Amino acid sequence: MTGTTDVPLDFGDPADLERLRQDFRTWLADHPLPERGADEPLPLFLHRWHRQLHSGGWVGLDVPQEYGGRGLTALHQVAVSDELGARGAPGVPRIGYLAHALLRFGSEEQRRRLLPRMLRGDDVWCQGFSEPGAGSDLVGMSTGAERRPEGHYVVNGQKLWTSYAQYSRLCLLLARTGLPPAPGSADGAGTPAASPHTSISAFVLPLDRPGVTVRPLRAANGDDEFCELFLDDVRLEESERIGSEGDGWPLAMTTVAYERNALDTGHLSKYGLLVERLRRAADERRGTLADGLLSDIGRCAVDYQVLVAHARRRTAERLAGQGAGPESSVDKLLMTRAEQRLYETALKVFPEELYGEGADVLSDYFYSRAASVYGGTSQIQRNIIAKRLLSLPADRRA
Amino acid sequence: MEREEFTLVRDMLRSFATRFRADSPDDVEPSTRATAQRALDELGLTDLRRTSPPAATVQECALLAEEHGRQPLTTSLLGTVLLAPELLRLLAADERPESPHGARPTIALARDLRFPGSAAATNCVAWDCEGADGALYVDAEGGVTHVEPGPPAPTADLLRGVRRASAAGRPVGRLTPQAHQRWQAYALVVVASELVGAARSFVEQSVAYARERHQYGRPIGSFQAVQHLLADASALAEACTSATRYAAWSLDNEPPDRALTAARVAKAEVNASAVEAVYAGMQVFGGIAQTWEHVAHLYLRRILVGATLLATTADLLPALAAPEADPTIAREATR
Repeated sequence: MTGTTDVPLDFGDPADLERLRQDFRTWLADHPLPERGADEPLPLFLHRWHRQLHSGGWVGLDVPQEYGGRGLTALHQVAVSDELGARGAPGVPRIGYLAHALLRFGSEEQRRRLLPRMLRGDDVWCQGFSEPGAGSDLVGMSTGAERRPEGHYVVNGQKLWTSYAQYSRLCLLLARTGLPPAPGSADGAGTPAASPHTSISAFVLPLDRPGVTVRPLRAANGDDEFCELFLDDVRLEESERIGSEGDGWPLAMTTVAYERNALDTGHLSKYGLLVERLRRAADERRGTLADGLLSDIGRCAVDYQVLVAHARRRTAERLAGQGAGPESSVDKLLMTRAEQRLYETALKVFPEELYGEGADVLSDYFYSRAASVYGGTSQIQRNIIAKRLLSLPADRRA
Repeated sequence: MEREEFTLVRDMLRSFATRFRADSPDDVEPSTRATAQRALDELGLTDLRRTSPPAATVQECALLAEEHGRQPLTTSLLGTVLLAPELLRLLAADERPESPHGARPTIALARDLRFPGSAAATNCVAWDCEGADGALYVDAEGGVTHVEPGPPAPTADLLRGVRRASAAGRPVGRLTPQAHQRWQAYALVVVASELVGAARSFVEQSVAYARERHQYGRPIGSFQAVQHLLADASALAEACTSATRYAAWSLDNEPPDRALTAARVAKAEVNASAVEAVYAGMQVFGGIAQTWEHVAHLYLRRILVGATLLATTADLLPALAAPEADPTIAREATR
C-alpha cells in the first residue's frame, strides 16, 4: 500500500512532551476553564476559550514563529490536545486545517497578515466549499468568480453547510475561475488530465462584504451550526485570492486531508471524554448492564484508542516527510467508525436521553450521523482509497 | 539499530521469507520445515532481544514480526527468536536464573493458547516450537518454569508447530509484577504484529488479483462493489497497523502499565479486524480461495487461531471497558 512507512517511526521524545504537558497543566491551574453562560451560543464560548488558550501560547504550536506560532511540531500540538481531552475541556480551536492550507498556498504577505490573526482568534474563519448541487462532488461546483478586465473578481453563487458562518468574519471560499466541467465527471479523487481540477480558485472572503447573505439552517439535532451563504455580485480583489488561479483544487485537497484526521479537528478529546463517561457508567452499574453492553463499551474504548494511535502515526509520518494526501481517506473512515459506534453505544447506556432527560448525548448522536457525510461521504472516501491508494482500475461507467 | 541497519535486517528477512514461503499446504513437510528453520537461524536474529539493553527496539522487533507474517512461513521467529529471549532478559534483569535452561527454548501457553489463568494448570502447550528444545511457561503470578515439549498437539494453523507439555517443569525464576506486565505487553505486540503482516499481505494480494481477474469483459477491480470491499479491508488493515506499531513504541518509551493497555487495544483491534480483512480478500478471490491448493486458507487459519492466541476479544473488551486508573482523568470525567 502506498503512503505507508515500514521503518520505525518517531512518535516524539516522551521526556520533551512530558515537560510540555507539565507546563500546560501548570498554566491550566492558573487559568481555569471559562464558564459557559446560560444563553451563550457555543461558538462564542469556544471563541473565548480560544483566546484564553492563545494568551498562554497554546494555539498553533506547530506553526512557524514568524506567523504567530511556536515553531514546535505537530506532536506537541497533539500533547496539548490530549491534556485538554483528559480534563474534559473543549478541544483546541479547529484551525489546524485552515492554517496548513494558508501555510502551503498563501503568499508571504497573506501568511504574515492572516495567520497571526487566525491563531489569536482575531478572525474567526469558516469554510465555503460545499454547494446545494455539489457536496462531496466539488467538481460539480457552480459558484463562479468572474475576472473583470480591471483585475478584480465578481462572485455569484450559493454555498451550503458553512459551519458557524454567522459567527465568522472570514470565509475560505472556493469558486470557479474557469469553465465548468462536462457533467458526470470524477468523484472527488481527482484525475490529473481533467480540467475541473484546474478551474477552481480559493479566496479569502470577508463576510461583511456587500452582496454576502448568511442564513443559518436548523440541523436534525436542533442546532444552527450550518449556514447557507448567498453571494450576489460580490467583489473580491486579486490580492484576496490564495495561490494562483486554479490552485483551489490542491488547496481544497490539502484542507480536507487535514480535516479528515481526527487530531487536526480536535475531535479526539471529545471522543475520549465520552468513552470515559461510558466506562464510569459501566463501573457504577456493574452487573445490571444489558447483555453485551460492557463489550460494546470496551469496543468503543478500542476504537477510540486505535484512532489515537492512528492519528499519532499519521502525525509521525508527516514529520518524516509524507505530506497529507489520499491516505487521509482511511483516517476519515476510521474516525467515522469510532464516532458512530461511540454515540450509538452512548444512547444505549443512557436511554433516558431518548425520553427527554439530558440532551447532550442525543444531540451529539445526531451529529455523529453526519460523520459519514461531511468532509466527503464514506462512499467518496472508498472511491479515493480504491483509486489513489490501491490503484484499482477505473469504473468504465464513470 | 540505526535505520540503515534495520532496513538491512528487514530486507534480509524479506528475501528469506520470499524464498521459504509455503505456496500450498502440501509444501509443509518436516524436512522443508527444518531446512527453513536452519536458514532463518543463519540470519542470526536470536540476539536481537537477548542482551541488556537489547540490540533491537520493540518497534523494530514488531516490524520484523510483521514481515514474517507476510508470507506463509513455518519458521519460529516469534517463539524462539523474539519471545523466549525477551522473557529470559526480563527475568535476568530481576534475578539471574539459577538453573541452566534449555539451549533454545520457545514459550509455553495454556492449553487453549491463552496466557495462563489463575487456576493451577497441570498441562500446557509449547507454542511455535519449530527448532525449539524446550519451552518457558509463565504462570499467572509471574513464576517461570522450563518445560519439556512432548508429542505434537493439533492446531488449525497448519504452519505453526505446537507440542503438548506438562506445566510442572523446572522452576527458572519469577518476574516482578512490572516485568510481568512488560512481558504480557511484549507478547501481545509481537503476536499481533505477525497477524497484521499476514492481513496486510493477504489484502494486497487480493487487490493485485482484482486488477487482473476479468469478468464481464473487464477487471473485477473496476466494479465499485469490489472497490469498496477492498477499500474497507485496507482501512481495517491500516487500523491494525497503527494500533500495533504504536503499542510497540509504547513498550520502548512508556511505563509497563500504559504499554500493556496499548498492547491490549492492539490485540483487540487485530482479533476483530484482521479476520474481517481476510474475509474480504477471500471474497475477492472468489472460488479459487476455497480450494486446498490456494494460500487463502493458510492465512485464514493463522489469523483465526491468532485471534484466540494470548487473549481473546471476550477477554479484552471487558478489561478495556474499565475506567482509567489515572486519578486526574477520573476526576474530570465525573464532573
